Amino acid sequence: MPEQQPYEPERAIAGTGMGGQMDLGASEAVTLEKTPGGPEGTGPQDKPRSLWSDAWHDLRRNPVFIISALVILFLIVISIWPSLIASGSPLKCDLAKAQEGSQSGHPFGFNGQGCDVYTRTVYGARTSVAVGVLATLGVAVLGSVLGGLAGFFGGAGDAVLSRITDVFFAIPVVLGGLVLLSVITSNTVWPVIGFIVLLGWPQISRIARGSVITAKQNDYVQAARALGASNSRLLLRHIAPNAIAPVIVVATIALGTYISLEATLSFLGVGLKPPSVSWGIDISAAAPYVRNAPHALLWPSGALAITVLAFIMLGDAVRDALDPKLR
Amino acid sequence: MLLEVRDLHVEFHTRDGVAKAVNGVSYGVDAGETLAVLGESGSGKSVTAQTVMGILDVPPGRITAGEVLFEGRDLLKLKEEERRKVRGAEMAMIFQDALSSLNPVLTVGAQLAEMFTVHRGMSRKDAHAKAVELMDRVRIPAAKERVRQYPHQFSGGMRQRIMIAMAMALEPKLIIADEPTTALDVTVQAQVMDLLAELQRELHMGLILITHDLGVVADVADKIAVMYAGRIVETAPVHDIYKAPAHPYTRGLLESIPRLDQKGQELYAIKGLPPNLTRIPPGCAFHPRCPMAQDVCRTDVPPLYDVTESDAERGSACHFWRECLHD
Repeated sequence: MPEQQPYEPERAIAGTGMGGQMDLGASEAVTLEKTPGGPEGTGPQDKPRSLWSDAWHDLRRNPVFIISALVILFLIVISIWPSLIASGSPLKCDLAKAQEGSQSGHPFGFNGQGCDVYTRTVYGARTSVAVGVLATLGVAVLGSVLGGLAGFFGGAGDAVLSRITDVFFAIPVVLGGLVLLSVITSNTVWPVIGFIVLLGWPQISRIARGSVITAKQNDYVQAARALGASNSRLLLRHIAPNAIAPVIVVATIALGTYISLEATLSFLGVGLKPPSVSWGIDISAAAPYVRNAPHALLWPSGALAITVLAFIMLGDAVRDALDPKLR
Repeated sequence: MLLEVRDLHVEFHTRDGVAKAVNGVSYGVDAGETLAVLGESGSGKSVTAQTVMGILDVPPGRITAGEVLFEGRDLLKLKEEERRKVRGAEMAMIFQDALSSLNPVLTVGAQLAEMFTVHRGMSRKDAHAKAVELMDRVRIPAAKERVRQYPHQFSGGMRQRIMIAMAMALEPKLIIADEPTTALDVTVQAQVMDLLAELQRELHMGLILITHDLGVVADVADKIAVMYAGRIVETAPVHDIYKAPAHPYTRGLLESIPRLDQKGQELYAIKGLPPNLTRIPPGCAFHPRCPMAQDVCRTDVPPLYDVTESDAERGSACHFWRECLHD
């Protein structure tokens, strides 16, 4: 652990440059004034900081984090309330206007079916965010519980689980999707989410297993055991908090790739199908007309690219903040 | 006897074969007594302690024979759940490196309080008050403020004192300290040993002090057990052993302490290396390194002879203990 740096008032001032940062900087300065060094001459004490508050401290100053977090926040808001910025319906189309370019009230133009590209792009965020977030949650919970237990208890269960993950790693994702999803007729996001969880959990399970094994070998786990802690206590209180960081990082980065996977599957016709609204469907539908109406392809593709990029950048920033070796 | 280890055998199954880490160790500690267990790395002193605590990793470790009697109960026969209740409450352990023995993501107060909430079912608030009290007791300045700090914010000596506080929290009857001062500065070593000895007197606990530092032993121990290749080779009251060792290995250890009156001379070292535990030499395990070795040492394993010349209980596992004692 590197030494804690003494608190520098300049940092708080530097933080005030960025709108919303002002309050945080100011309140931190106030709390610090309330906790001066002990009267017994212990010197000026730093406010105690855990791994998480240290990471937050770093993230708040990282422009990559701020930008990607704002983009993600925006995406989440519009996927919950798309009507905030798009008044029309994504399913209201007028064939007479097919492939027309940008015009008043329809800034992104119309697609091959004469639907408003802007409205469809906004509504498409809902599918992408829902698939990304729910699939990541499922993968993270399933993977870390299975991997964590396998890493902690070891033995035969661990060996079996490791071989099962090997099997899943051998399945090509797109091919697996074409085979498995083509037999499903339901037109909701759930089959896609289920498929991603099914193929995604081994990755998290491996990471979780590895980091639980690393954390398990720490002396403080042995020490806690020697002082009478039970297995569940060791696992939940001493191992999990020290093993969860890599899982969070990998899951955040994976979230971006799951969004693009949903688009890929929808593009191939096995993910969501019309009349669902998804960027993948729109990209697929616009691809043949790219020379006549490039805007119908570019807007949903651009939205997809920005969304995936935002999640991957967020994952990167979180990884940097959680890795003490990079401090 | 508070704790009595009888004829304990522990082995480890490794790729190179079976490593016999402990081969028939017997020792005992009374309440209020300090037993120092001395020996090089790999002599089996820590493995014996882990077996007594019940934190030996099985597999790869295996207890093949022996008894660990704690207040007359054989701990090796207890179920894991019952053993867990003994750990922490009735016997506790202090480890070598206090930084790695404390969980980095929890405040020291939370870790101290945990002893009371888990074993005594105290409320969080009461346990917190107890934690402050304990930190005061091990003389950590400004305990009230520092209880909210994380382990990395304490110096090495303070961390070891916190470990001592955790071990003492429930006033156990027996403490095992595994090289408690090895990772500390010489000046801090003395303070920590003094604190440990003082608390032991106050609480009238049995103390097993595992160390390879003969200087530490002389001040605090009542009796000494010297281990070599998984056996006890000499056991004696502390002053007898310093006056006249009855085993050539003990003599070698004592002669390899730097002394002020031999300044400038080359320091004595026992020649050779400790034996590989998968291939312990036949006969007396020490014979390849022993300056007094005879033919009988190569074939016959020496029993722990009763060294009857002094009044105190004393034993030596050397065929030539008489010669060694009077040399």
